[in-house]
Amino acid sequence: MNQETPQKKRPLSQNGRIFYLVPLAAALIPFFANDYLQFIVNMIMVYVLVTVGFNLVIGNLGQLAFANTAFFGIGAYMTAILMTYAGFTYELALVGAAISGGLAGLLASVTALRGIRLYYLAIITLAFGELMRWVYIHAEPVTMGTDGLPLPDVTVFGMSMHSETAKFYVFLLITVLVVKGTSNLLKSRVGRAILAIRDNELTTASLGISTANYIILTFVWSGSVVGIAGAMFAASTERVFPESFGLTEVIVHFAMVMVGGAGSLIGSVIGGVVLTALPEYFRQFPGMEELFFGAIIIAVLLFLPKGLVSLLAKVSPLFRERYFRE
Amino acid sequence: MLMQLTVSGLSQGAIYALIALSLTVVFRATTVVNFGHGDFVLGGAFGVYVLVVMLGLPFLPSAIAAIALMFACGILISRGFIDPIKAGPHIGFAMMSISLGYIFRGTTRSIWGREVLPMPRVFDIPPIFVGDLVITGDAMIISGTVAILLAGFFVVFYKTSIGKVIQAVYQSERGATLIGINVKRFHDMMWGAGLAMGAVAGILIAPISLLHPDLGAGFLIRGFAAMTLGGFGSLGGAVAGGLILGVTEQYAGAYINTALIDITSYLVILVVLVVRPSGLFGKRAVVRV
Repeated sequence: MNQETPQKKRPLSQNGRIFYLVPLAAALIPFFANDYLQFIVNMIMVYVLVTVGFNLVIGNLGQLAFANTAFFGIGAYMTAILMTYAGFTYELALVGAAISGGLAGLLASVTALRGIRLYYLAIITLAFGELMRWVYIHAEPVTMGTDGLPLPDVTVFGMSMHSETAKFYVFLLITVLVVKGTSNLLKSRVGRAILAIRDNELTTASLGISTANYIILTFVWSGSVVGIAGAMFAASTERVFPESFGLTEVIVHFAMVMVGGAGSLIGSVIGGVVLTALPEYFRQFPGMEELFFGAIIIAVLLFLPKGLVSLLAKVSPLFRERYFRE
Repeated sequence: MLMQLTVSGLSQGAIYALIALSLTVVFRATTVVNFGHGDFVLGGAFGVYVLVVMLGLPFLPSAIAAIALMFACGILISRGFIDPIKAGPHIGFAMMSISLGYIFRGTTRSIWGREVLPMPRVFDIPPIFVGDLVITGDAMIISGTVAILLAGFFVVFYKTSIGKVIQAVYQSERGATLIGINVKRFHDMMWGAGLAMGAVAGILIAPISLLHPDLGAGFLIRGFAAMTLGGFGSLGGAVAGGLILGVTEQYAGAYINTALIDITSYLVILVVLVVRPSGLFGKRAVVRV
C-alpha cells in the first residue's frame, strides 16, 4: 500500500525532473523577447549564479562573509584582463575566472579558519571587497581605472557571442550546469557535512568530519560559482567598471539570498530571478535602489525569515517535502 | 612636517575615535555590531545641514536637535527592528543593521541625488602657531569636543551605576534580568546613546567636509578599523585605535602615496585581524565549549 503512492502520484517531480523543464521552457524565450528584455533575462542568469554562490557560504555554511562582490569583481576583471592582454578566448577566460574566483574563496576561507568568525569575518571580507575595488580603480595601466576595461569581441568556440540571443544560450548552458552541479554537491555527503557545520561545528568535528576541509571547499566552490557569474557579467556588459562591484552590490546580493531563502538552492534561483529586473527599473531614480533593497531585507527578516521558499512550502506540500528544510 | 602631520592626524583620529566608541557602546551593551553605523553618523551631519542651511536655524540648537533626533532613531531601531528578531540567528542582526543604514543612505540620496553639499563654516577661530606648527581652529574644536565627550563618557562608564549596569548586561543578559534590570529598556537607551554619539561625530565633520551620501561607508570602515586596532569591544582601545588610525592615515598619505589614505583603514583591518585578531589592547577571546 505504501509502495504504490509515490510512483503513481508524482512521477515527474519525484525524480526532480520537473526542473529540467524550466531551462527547456526558458530556451524558448529568445523567440518572443526583444533585445532589452533579452539583456535582462541574461542578467537574471548572472544573478542566479551570484546568489547560488553567496547562499552557499551564508545560508548553507552559515558564515557571515561579505566577500561575494569581491569574487564577482575578480571574475569579471579576470575575464576582461585575460581576453585583452593574454588573448584568451571567452571559454578559456571563463575557466580563468572560475579559478581566480576559487582562489579568492580560498583566501577568504583561510581567514575563516584562522578563527576569524562572525563579525570579524564580516568586517575583514568587507574590507577585502573594498580593497579590490580600490585596486580596480588605481591599477590604471591594467584596468583603465574608472573608465572601465572594455572586452574584445566575445566568441565561444569560434562563434560570435555579440547578439543577446547568442549570449543567452551560452549563459543558459553554464547556468544549468552550475546549478545542477551545486545541487548534486549539496545532496551528497558534502552538502550534509556543510549543513552540519553550520548547525554545530564542534559536534560535527567530534563525529570525525574534517570541518576545515569542508569550510575550504564551500568557500572555493562559492568563489568559483560567483567568479563564473562575473565572467558572464563581463560578457553581458562588454565593459567592466569598478563601480559595479561597490557596496550597493553587497546589499543586492544579500536581498536575493534572503528573499529566496537562506540555505536553499531553489531559493537562490528564485531570489535571483525575482530581484534582478527591479534594479534596472530603479536605476533612473537616485537612492531608490538602496531604499528598495534595504526595505525588502528588513521586511523579510521581520516577517518571512525563511524567504519565499517557506511560503512555497506552505502552499505546496510537495515542494515542502522535497525542497524545503527547516 | 612630522609634527604637523601628527597634529592633523590626531584631530582626524579624534573623529574616528568617537565613531569607534559609539560602535563599541552598542556592541558592548547589546552584542550587535552595527553595520549601518556609517550612515547613522552621516544622518547627524545631514540633520544639521537641513536645519542650518535649509531652515536657517543657528548651529548649536540645530546640533542638539539632530543629536536628539538620532537618539530617538536609536530607540526606534532597537524597539522596532532589532528586538523582534532577537530569537533568530545572529547573522540577522548584521543584515538588519546594514539594511537600516541603506534606508538612511537611500533617503539622503533620493533627496539630494548626486549633488555634493557644502556646508558653511560655523566656527571662525584663527589658527594657533606653535613654532612652525599650525593648529587650525577646526582641529581645536574637534579635539576639544571629543575630549570633553570622552571624559564624560568614561566617568559615566566607570564611576556611576549606569556603567555597572552596562557591565552586568554585557556579561549575562539573563543574570541582569534576574537582578531587576530592565534589559529591553537598557538596550533601547544604549542604541540611542550609540547613535547620538555617532551623530556628534557627523556634526563635527559636517562643517569641514563636503557632504554626500556615500561618505557613510568610509566612516563605518574607519570605525571598524579603529575598533579592530584597539581590540574589539574595548572602550579605551577604540579611542586609542581611532587616534592611531588618524595619524597613520596622514603619514601614509604624506610619505608613501596620497591614494593610500583611502585604504589605510582596510589594510589595518586585514593586517590586524590576520596577525593579531585581539588587537593592540584587547584580551584574547576565549571560546567556551
